Order: sequence, then structure tokens, then C-alpha cells
Amino acid sequence: MSGSGEFAEFLPAYLAEVDELLASAQKDLLAVEEAVRKGLAQPRAVRELFRALHTLKGLSAMVDVEPVVSLAHWMEASLRLADQAGGRLPESSVEPMVEGLRAIELRVRQLSAGKTASPAPANLLERLEALGPQVLDAAPKRARPVKLDAEAAFASRLAPSEREQLEGGLAGGQRALRLDFVPSSERAAKGLNINTVRERVAKLADIVKVLPLSGAAAGGASLAFALLLLTRAEDAVLLDAVGGPPATVRSLEAAVPAGATGVPGEVPGEAPGAVVGGVLPPGAGLPGAAVLEEELDEPEVRRGGGLLRVEVSRLDEAMEWLAALVVNRSRLTRAVAALTQAGAPTRELNAILQENGRQLRDLRSAILRLRMVRVGDVLERLPLLVRGLRRATGKAVRLELDVGDAELDKAVADRLLPALVHLVRNAVDHALELPEERQAAGKPPEGLVRLSCHARASGQLELTLRDDGKGVDAKAVAKAANAPVPDSADALLDLLCRPGLSTRQEATRTSGRGMGMDIVRRIVVEQLGGELGMETRKGVGTTFTLSVPLTVTLMDAIVFECSGRRYAVAVGTVEELIDVVGVVRPAGAEGVGLVERRGTAVPLVSLARLLDTAASGDAGAGTKALVVRQRGEPVAFAVDRLLGQQEIVLRPLEDPLVRVPGVAGATDLGDGQPTLVLDLGALGAARALRRKRAARAGEWVS
Amino acid sequence: MPEVLVVDDSKVMRDMVVACLRPYPDSRFTQASSGLEAIEQLSLKPYDLLVLDLNMPDIGGIEVVEFVRGQDHLRELPIIIVTTRGDEASRERALQAGANRFMTKPFTPDSIQGAARALLEKTPAEASRG
Repeated sequence: MSGSGEFAEFLPAYLAEVDELLASAQKDLLAVEEAVRKGLAQPRAVRELFRALHTLKGLSAMVDVEPVVSLAHWMEASLRLADQAGGRLPESSVEPMVEGLRAIELRVRQLSAGKTASPAPANLLERLEALGPQVLDAAPKRARPVKLDAEAAFASRLAPSEREQLEGGLAGGQRALRLDFVPSSERAAKGLNINTVRERVAKLADIVKVLPLSGAAAGGASLAFALLLLTRAEDAVLLDAVGGPPATVRSLEAAVPAGATGVPGEVPGEAPGAVVGGVLPPGAGLPGAAVLEEELDEPEVRRGGGLLRVEVSRLDEAMEWLAALVVNRSRLTRAVAALTQAGAPTRELNAILQENGRQLRDLRSAILRLRMVRVGDVLERLPLLVRGLRRATGKAVRLELDVGDAELDKAVADRLLPALVHLVRNAVDHALELPEERQAAGKPPEGLVRLSCHARASGQLELTLRDDGKGVDAKAVAKAANAPVPDSADALLDLLCRPGLSTRQEATRTSGRGMGMDIVRRIVVEQLGGELGMETRKGVGTTFTLSVPLTVTLMDAIVFECSGRRYAVAVGTVEELIDVVGVVRPAGAEGVGLVERRGTAVPLVSLARLLDTAASGDAGAGTKALVVRQRGEPVAFAVDRLLGQQEIVLRPLEDPLVRVPGVAGATDLGDGQPTLVLDLGALGAARALRRKRAARAGEWVS
Repeated sequence: MPEVLVVDDSKVMRDMVVACLRPYPDSRFTQASSGLEAIEQLSLKPYDLLVLDLNMPDIGGIEVVEFVRGQDHLRELPIIIVTTRGDEASRERALQAGANRFMTKPFTPDSIQGAARALLEKTPAEASRG
């Protein structure tokens, strides 16, 4: 690998930052491509793309990853030219750029896997190098109808692409404005600084440029920042975002005299050219400081804004310490219980324990919140994936992402993304028809893949991936799987998720679905303890629903005993705890009986038998049962004794040799003994599957 | 105790610079993620050394140097530009604008420490002569 230089220890941080840079570069490149298709300039995206690659190059040079340096260098070089040419790229440059980003991403993945980054492909480097002259040819040569107020916009300090962006925005009906912000120590202490102001304003406007202005101003301010913006927001809203007066707003359009904007708080009579040579004139727009203090006195401002990037390993470390505290608290609880039983006065101790429990819970949610990432950020790679598939398959596809502000744990996100990539790839590759086929079927030529998600109060994230393709052909799947035609969507999904099915399907191309569905189910159900569902209608489309926990590391669990061993299950997965009375049908040889629950018969499964821990003859003899939903239907799992509810730290069983369906992980309940954490739904399903397979095997043998 | 302001939009790069300069006796570090933040910091508190990237959002390092040199109280502030290969053309501009040193990435801990030492331990006049 590289990183052999002086900065090898920075490699993990490098990988994390490069990941972010690549994600934003991919987003910007797609924006550039969209603009290219429409024949428009996209100065902001070109500039951002350039900067991402420039930073990537510098970082890669520091950790000695030469292939990435070379790739980034040639892409950066043509983007620099494009920036100077007003933010315009020729169409011919998009494909090599996409390949360039992909090549960088591949090498970064090699590095994260501990391998050496392979050399940059020579022909790709040549193509990227050849982009420079093409970019220059694409530079606009037409005159612009809109003129800027040169003084207000500091015309001489604007890069061509920034000027292009401002003029393009004006021509497109947006307002080009200059918003001045005056920083101070008091405001910085309250969290209002150029960074937070920038973040606030970016939500209301496209920030084209920010320029510092020096000079003595009233109130002792010697510095102001002029933010040059494109926006449709109201002046008052913008002023509010920068803390109100002494901030000012003025138009950048030459035709509109400054001061005509009627800005509240603006100094009457201020001339358009009042700011000359970057010097703020004395007394320029600084009244109302007292009002400002009032307005700033909001909790949101006081707490300060800004973003802090933290390596996941540091959060993991905090989590580890918290986990140790949780385990320790369990030990403490047992010790206090023993004291109480021995007749010691433990009232105060118990009160402290209770308070301690509450504090740990608060600390837990605080740390978990730190680990949350926006789902939207996680999915940033999907548009580029669809773009690649569009080109590879010749299909017209529109990807719609409706993910709102939902967040989930970074660890869950990292595991979930490959499953979503599989599903999106399947949707485009197999489910959607070619444009002519769609038209023949009376559909629009462009297919739709829509991914939407929202977080539920129960700590689950629900995702839906819908396509309007041809639907899953159950007969074809059954034929490929050499099985009877399934009679329900669940049974069809079971077939699709059979390992090995994909290979056959791919070879014969008999049906649209199946590629890697076993992987999708393994991730969603086994690794994340979630649920996977499917609905499909022939000719209309297919919808996959995924429900995954927002976080997997710490959870409330029910602890119980079965055949003399202790187990735990996540509280969130258990619908109800019942006494095993009113058995309608006792468990037979299969260990499945029926129990009455509020007038309805529910399957009763002997957990002891399921776990193969039952001594002969006592199958299903448990006195309590945990009711769990399995494919939407309630199933009761009989256990011997409930021991209580407590918070546990779930440790995943990382070793693939000990990874078992239905076992979510292990935990320490405070006595140092490992306890298995079960996923009863998955355990039951895995058992049912094994039985079916065994039956099939039996048929063949006979 | 020298106060050092390290400015780069890459957090990893700032950390690398700080790691290189940390052995310098008793230095204290402040980090800024943009040229604008650097200018704001410089207006709020005195610093003894500015380590500055060239390519950043909104305003680049050269504009920061120009701004800094336009301020009476910052005219003598030692500035080291640390930038990515490909900015070589900017070297002349940066030095002309008033930067004291220009280093390209990848740099070594020794090289940046040497530059910092030279600037912090020399008189302002010596430092500006390099």
C-alpha cells in the first residue's frame, strides 16, 4: 500500500475524508452532466468539483498514493480551465470524468482493504489529459445581456465563473444580492461567526463569493464580510440569518439602484458605490446593536453551530466505554439486590442506581445521536450508479430519492448501502424494460426507480424501493429454481433469495429478478436484524420494503431462561409476553403447537427444540412465551422462565464461521458470562427453511 | 508560546500540519477551515504564524495574504503557504502578495518545521528576506 511515507498514520482519516470528497464530487459531476445536457453552464458545481479533486490530490500526495494523485491531477487541470471559462464543460468530457472518479474510488477501496492501489490506467490518464483543449473550445463567446453593479460586486475580484454564475442567475430570474455581515468577539461567543452565517445563508441562497472588507466601522468593527448571493429569499429573512443589523442587503444588478430594495435597517441615503476598494466606510450600517443582542439571545444561536468531523473509530471508542459502564451497572444492580436480600438498608443505594440508570440512558442517546448520519448522504452514490447502468443497459431510467431528513447509525448505514445498491442494480438491470418494450406496453419510455424512506418512532427505518418495470415472473423464477410455482409474494421472495439462483438466472436470462437477492436478505435480516418484504405485479412493477433498526449496538432486551441457559432478545422485536395456558394443540414431533391468545390460535414454537437444547420429552414445556411477528404473523416462542428486562450491549458475531441465522450477537449481562442475543423471527424462519430443504432432500433420496 | 493558525479546508491536512509543528516548543494551534474563518480569527486574536492553504472555498489563500498584508497590525505576521502541486504558477503571486514561504504538498515534517522555526526565531526583517 502506500502511506509508506511520514504520514502513514493518517491513512484512516485520509480514507474517511476522501470518501466524503468522492461523494460530493460524484454529486457535482452529475449536476454538471445535467447542465451539459441542457446546454447550460454550471459554474458552482464545476468549482466544487475542482476543489474536491484538488483537495483529493493534495491529500493523496501527502499519504503517497500516486495513482490517485495522477488521476485527480488531470481532472483538476481541465476543471480549472472550465472554471476560468465560466463553468462550462463539453459533453465529451463527462464520460472520462466519470471514469476518472470511478478509478479513484476503486483505488481508495483497495487502500481501505489494506491492498496497494493499482497504477492509474494509462489510456484513461491520456484521455483526461486531452480534455484541456476541449474545455477551452467550449468556453462561451456570447455577450451577456445583464450587467452587474461593478462596485457593489467588486467585479475585479470575481473569477470568470463567479461572474458567469451571477449573471446567469440574474438572467434566470433570481436576485443577485450583496449581504454584509459584521463579525465580533461577542457574536463569535454566541456562535455567530462567518462559518455559521455561511451555513445559514446557504440554506436560503446560492453563495457565489464571500469577500472580506476591512476598515474602521462604527461600534468598533474593523472587519465585515460581503456575501454575494443568488436567491429568491426575502431581504428580511436574509438579514435575520446573519443576525440582523448591522448587516445590510443591496442589489448587485446595475439597473437597480442600491437602496431601492427597501431593506429594513438599511442606512437611508447610502450610495451604491459606498464601499470602495474593499474598505467599509465609518458608520456604514451599524445601528441597532442592542436589538441584535436581544435577537441573538436564542438557544439555537447560543449553543453555536458548525460541523465537526469525527472519525468513527473515536465514536466507537466512546461507545466501548459506555458499554463498559452499562455492564458495570448490571453488576452493581446485582450486588445491591444481594445486599437488599441480606437485609441491608439499600434504599438510598437504589435511588442512586435509578438515577445512574437514567444518566446512562441519556449518555447513550447522546452518543448514538453523534453516530447518526443523514440517509440522504448515504445514498449520494446511487445517482451515479444509475447513470452507469443507464449507459450499460441502454435503458432510460429516472431515479427518485425521497429520503427527507431521516438519519441512521453509521454502522447500519455502511451495512445497508450494499443491499440498496443490489436492489437498485436489479431494478434497472432486470426489472425495467427497454424503452421500445415499455412503449409497446403502453408505458412511458423512461422507467422509474423510486427510493423513499422514513424513520418510525419504534426505532426502525423503513425503506421502499419501487420500480415500474415488468414485475417478477413467478413461473420463470420457479423454473430456474427447479421448484413449484410459489403461491404468495413471500414464497416468491424466498425463492428469489435462494443462494445460487442468481447464477442460473443470469446465464439463461429467464427472468428479471434474482441477482444477489440472497445477499440482500442476509444483510437486511441476518446482519441488521431487519425485515425484507416484496410485492410484485406482472407488467406493473415491483416494490421491496426494508425495515432496519436505526442503530444496532445498544438495546433494551428481555432476558429469559430456556433449558437452563440464559438468552436475550431485543424488546423492540417482541410484541407481547404471554403465559402458556390454553394450549389448543400441544407441540408434536416438530415442536410446533397452537396456543390461544385473546381468542385466536397462535402457533407455539418450543424454543428449546428450535435450539436443539431440549431434553427428550420436554418439548414445548415452557410456561411463558414471547410473541414475535414472523412475516407479519404472530408466533409464540415458549421459554422456561423470564428473568427481566435490561439494557444490553450487542456484540455482533463477526467470525463468519460462528455466524448463525437467528443469532443477532452476544452480550455480557454483567456476570462475565457470554449470553446469546436471539432474533426469534429469523430463527423461526431459518428453521422453517431447513425443514423445507430437508423435506426436499428426502424426496430426492426416495 | 507561539500561537499558530493553521488554515486548510481539509481536516486531515490541518491535522498533518499540526502534527508536523507540534514538536516546535510550546506552540499552540488554532485551526480554521476556510480563508474567511482565518480572517475572522486574525481579527479577534493575535497570532505569531499563519500556515495557509491556497485553494479554499470562497476566497483563496492568495486573497487571504493580500488582505492580511493590507492590515497594519498584520503586516509582519509570518505566513507559510502550503499547497498542492499544480499551484506552482501561484508561487510568484503568493510571494509577491507577501507570503514568506511557499511549500508544496507533499511536504515533510522537517521542511515545514524548519520554515516555521526560521520565521518564528528570526526578526521580522530577517524573516521577510527568507
